[in-house]
Amino acid sequence: MQNAARVMGLALASTVAVTGCPGGGVVKTGPKLIPDDPPIDQGRDLPTVAAKIVTTTSLPTDGNDPDAASPILGWMAVENERSMKELARQPEPAYYLGYQIVEQRVVELDAEGGALINDSDETARNLDVEVRVGSPALDNTRPLADDDGLNAPRTRHGVVPFGDDPDAIRNHLWLETDRRYREAVQQLTYVRQDQQTLKARKRPPDFSAAEPVIYAEKIAKLEFDKAAWVERLKRCSRRALTGAATRGSCSVTFQLNTVWYVNSEGSQIQQSYTNAQLAVSVGVKTDDGMGLSRLEQRFGATPADLPPDSDVDKMVDTVVADLNDLNDAPLAEPYVGPAILEGRAAGVFFHEVFGHRIEGHRQKDDTSGQTFSSYIGKPIAPEWLSVYDDPTLVTLNGIQLNGFYRYDDEGVKAQHVPLIDKGTLVGFEMGRNPIDGFPTSNGHGRKAPGLPAVARQGNLVVEAARTVERAELEKMLLAEVKKQGRPYGMVFTDISGGFTNTSAFAPQAFKVNPVMAYRIYPDGKRQLVRGIDIGGTPLIALQSIRAASREIETFNGVCGAESGWVPVSASAPSLLIEKLEIEKGYIPPDRGPILNPPNITTGGSAAGGAP
Amino acid sequence: MNARSLALAAFSGVLVAAGHQLADAKPPPAPPSTAVTDDILDAIAKEMNRDMTGLVVRDADGNPTAPGPYHISYKVTEVEVNDAVASLGQTTARKTRHFVNIECRVRVGLPPDPYKLDNANYIVPGGDGIDGVASRSLPIEATPRIAERAAWQVTDEAYKEALYQLQAKLDARQTTGTTSTLPSWTPEPAIVSEEPVLVPALESLDAIEARAQKLSKGFRNQPALRDSRVAITAYSERRWYLNSEGTSVTDTRRASGLVIAATAQADDGQELAQYFSRYGQTAGDLPSDEELTKEVKRITETLIALQKAPKAEPYSGPVLFEGEGAVGMVRWSLAPHLGGTPLPEGLNPQQAKQFGGALTDRVGLRVASNNVEIVDDPTTSIAAGKALIGGYKIDDEGVAAQRVQVVKAGMLKSLLTSRTPSAKDARSNGHARRTTDGGMFHGSATNLIVSATGGTTHQALVARLLAAAKTEGLKYGIIIRQFDDSAITAAPEYSRRELYAMLQRADTDLPPPATLVYKVYPNGKEELLRGAQLDEIPIRVWKDVIGVGKGALVYNYLAAPESYLANKFGGGTDDGAVPSSGIESAVVTPDLLFKEIDLKPLTSGRRAKPVVSSPISAK
Repeated sequence: MQNAARVMGLALASTVAVTGCPGGGVVKTGPKLIPDDPPIDQGRDLPTVAAKIVTTTSLPTDGNDPDAASPILGWMAVENERSMKELARQPEPAYYLGYQIVEQRVVELDAEGGALINDSDETARNLDVEVRVGSPALDNTRPLADDDGLNAPRTRHGVVPFGDDPDAIRNHLWLETDRRYREAVQQLTYVRQDQQTLKARKRPPDFSAAEPVIYAEKIAKLEFDKAAWVERLKRCSRRALTGAATRGSCSVTFQLNTVWYVNSEGSQIQQSYTNAQLAVSVGVKTDDGMGLSRLEQRFGATPADLPPDSDVDKMVDTVVADLNDLNDAPLAEPYVGPAILEGRAAGVFFHEVFGHRIEGHRQKDDTSGQTFSSYIGKPIAPEWLSVYDDPTLVTLNGIQLNGFYRYDDEGVKAQHVPLIDKGTLVGFEMGRNPIDGFPTSNGHGRKAPGLPAVARQGNLVVEAARTVERAELEKMLLAEVKKQGRPYGMVFTDISGGFTNTSAFAPQAFKVNPVMAYRIYPDGKRQLVRGIDIGGTPLIALQSIRAASREIETFNGVCGAESGWVPVSASAPSLLIEKLEIEKGYIPPDRGPILNPPNITTGGSAAGGAP
Repeated sequence: MNARSLALAAFSGVLVAAGHQLADAKPPPAPPSTAVTDDILDAIAKEMNRDMTGLVVRDADGNPTAPGPYHISYKVTEVEVNDAVASLGQTTARKTRHFVNIECRVRVGLPPDPYKLDNANYIVPGGDGIDGVASRSLPIEATPRIAERAAWQVTDEAYKEALYQLQAKLDARQTTGTTSTLPSWTPEPAIVSEEPVLVPALESLDAIEARAQKLSKGFRNQPALRDSRVAITAYSERRWYLNSEGTSVTDTRRASGLVIAATAQADDGQELAQYFSRYGQTAGDLPSDEELTKEVKRITETLIALQKAPKAEPYSGPVLFEGEGAVGMVRWSLAPHLGGTPLPEGLNPQQAKQFGGALTDRVGLRVASNNVEIVDDPTTSIAAGKALIGGYKIDDEGVAAQRVQVVKAGMLKSLLTSRTPSAKDARSNGHARRTTDGGMFHGSATNLIVSATGGTTHQALVARLLAAAKTEGLKYGIIIRQFDDSAITAAPEYSRRELYAMLQRADTDLPPPATLVYKVYPNGKEELLRGAQLDEIPIRVWKDVIGVGKGALVYNYLAAPESYLANKFGGGTDDGAVPSSGIESAVVTPDLLFKEIDLKPLTSGRRAKPVVSSPISAK
């Protein structure tokens, strides 16, 4: 049996890093306190011009239309109240009951090399019932000291019918409540047993109350011209399968999500929204066996928000050109020295290196490294740098943000959360699992259907109060190169994702996977290289930030962790890092195909045109 | 016709007659595939020929350093599925799927006669995915250049795996001292049958959904029930099989099926489940709505009766298996033993039990009562006027389907074989179906037909049961009318901890629990029992079939590739989905009376009763 995965991954499409670690006793050692650390370089000679950030927001209460509420919400409330009445007077009383029904329509269209390879349109409803027994101070969700994984709730698709037939819906709510209540009572038995034999440790409660919310927005509509999209994708993927690429694909995913949430505190929430995603991807295996791929994605609230063909053509041309260059690029060597993380790459970097460690529940988990637990109120980054997370942001500098939501998956209003204020750590992303000094949720309890919620990121924003022009940043990089006596500096323009280990059983390290990495030589020459990862430890990485650019870029994507995949964004200026550690990436021991590709020009084609 | 037929055939072509027809072809046939056309197959065949002649590992000087493939085969499948599930009159799932896949199998062997010793039927330790098989998806629009490229890629991948597997097999034989005089694989004549097999179109998703909704309404307002559902599916699988012997065959499998299932709890907390399941070639082969509504009612009434029913007690004596009970006996105690394919080297003994093996050395010996006949016939599609779904034109190794007389007058005549020969069976009889680890097909049952002379009326059969019970000093006899089916009833009630505990202590050699079990007393009175589990059923019980009924039940089902327990505890139909994958199978059997069967109380499945009454009963 393995411990629950505690390595988080961020991915554009499908990359997720998950590992486990052996269970057993954990010796907690606190992080070294700041006074012993060398002072952080504050870069006070940088110009006091802030990075440009213009945002639009939509408050959780916007769009409330009580008339739009589905009768489903009412049936959920009736059944919730009826069950709670009984469950609260059992020998093991339930003190909290939450219902979430998610109806999700997912349309996927994929074309590869000019032909449609996937055409699916499916709608599913999922029911999640959360029952808590015991008390907020100690309930069934308390991790066992020697966690064997068996006390976690069973991951199971909760069946609930479509439509709003009260008998059918209520029967399934009742059934799932009964299953989850019995499961919770069983869990609590083991929790109690565990607590009796443990030496007492002071620990914050397991659950925090939240204000009831009544909210209903109109049920959204998903509108798109399927035939036109199929043609667009076929054309796009035909254009993509060229040059070195052996795979060229274009795909869209459109979603219509409607979420009904009811809990025993009196919340009744109906949220409904669409989202759309376009991906352009090319890939090839190099002669030395390394799998290369280059992906560009765009997100929008509706299919109509996705870029027009002229922009898609540019995306294709970019990934194709990059892939061709990568295919010819030399393998890089391990390196330590100055580097620039360009906007989106800096966003991903912050998401991995900082964001996952600032998720509140990790600060109380004994098996977690609790990197930032003791740093509240202390400087961890230059004083011109601030970071916050705000799911109520709709756009940033005109770009739609993927991490927008009104209410989280625990019925709590989405909130702007300051995390680093002028270099000082001030907050954590919080769900309803309290930690010392942070007794309540700030609306970041998130999950995919079927999994329990934990604290997660939404729209992470890195602000810089002192910035330089992008060209100046590169000059500063070369100055650092000279100062450090390095042959070159590095510039990263695209990071595909990565993972960060927060488990106490392993080093508190991160690894991110740059796709486009350049060496910049003192004479200004740029050289693309491949086969490397960026590694390091978070505290040192944050302290090594020396300067930021004026421009902000946004990374939109989906993030995977123990509560499943959730949409997120990360916006950041380009950053100059004094010292970044570059590791050799893993190149699988493979070889190219034995025979050359078949003579495809004679194969004939419905789609026309050979790659 | 094209490049496919020009392949490297050492044998003359054999043309298979279109003997495999659908029983009820009234609905209009669906048009031929637009995803897999002649152009696609030609492109794949072209690549196959190129790989057969050119694919080999070479050193820097261009000299081969390992054998090239001696046999390459491709299976292209196009699957279309419509299915829907409803509960209490409302849809809980509705899906339509359409995908195309290409699978390549490459065999490499030691020269000069690679058939003697090749890579296959061997499980690489720690690498059961290394089996000389590779697959990937193809577009749903015919695009030859993508098909050709995909064929190139899967062949390359499969070839590299096959080389590794061969090396590992040779090493293992050396270290374990394993020797075998049996060849690894048998040559077969080429078969060409390229006319599309047209089957009736799938029932529409809307029609399926409406029917599921309508039938599932029958479970409304039943306070005794916990969960219920009606799941309906329709699917087709078009197949194209090409190999380097020159075989080029196309065939289509088509099935429609339904599952009605409901659960309840006994007064002492024991979990109770009942189901009704039927599959046919089209919805026309399934019972009418009127009949199905009766089944919904019967399931409800049975569950209510089971809530109060006494628990089964230990019993050792005669048992009458009626209807689906007899089908269950054939399916769980006989069918797994009929494969004549040697199990892969390296298979662990526990896994090996899934493949039976009790009859391996018994060909020519008595294995059943004198009056028992057993035939497995994939060439037929009808029995007793009912559609069978277990048939096909050629098997998964490109061998024409054959009718096999398995047991004649109680004597074992032949097992069901594939191209991996055993000592007894040197040739395939066209039964390669179920896959094993190590990338092999195991000889498996298709349409398994049990018959017997001397069939009697039900009344006479019960009298014989009672007489046999009396001889044993028993006060009653036992009738079993149904076994559980893990493809239908899953285990959503259990917590993670409970599931783990059940898996730990489960006896994988047992058949599934019996779901309809009755005591029958000398006065003919029947008493329903709950919680009954048959003990391990040794193959020798078939020698003591002491009575058979008149007539036979035709029962179609999808055999799960996993074991009963793996399916049950590993999720199965947790999300309420309708089973639409598995190995299409049929059993035809009369009622069967066995002289001695051991029965014991079912030990698992007890849980606390709900503390909140159902919303229906609270009304």
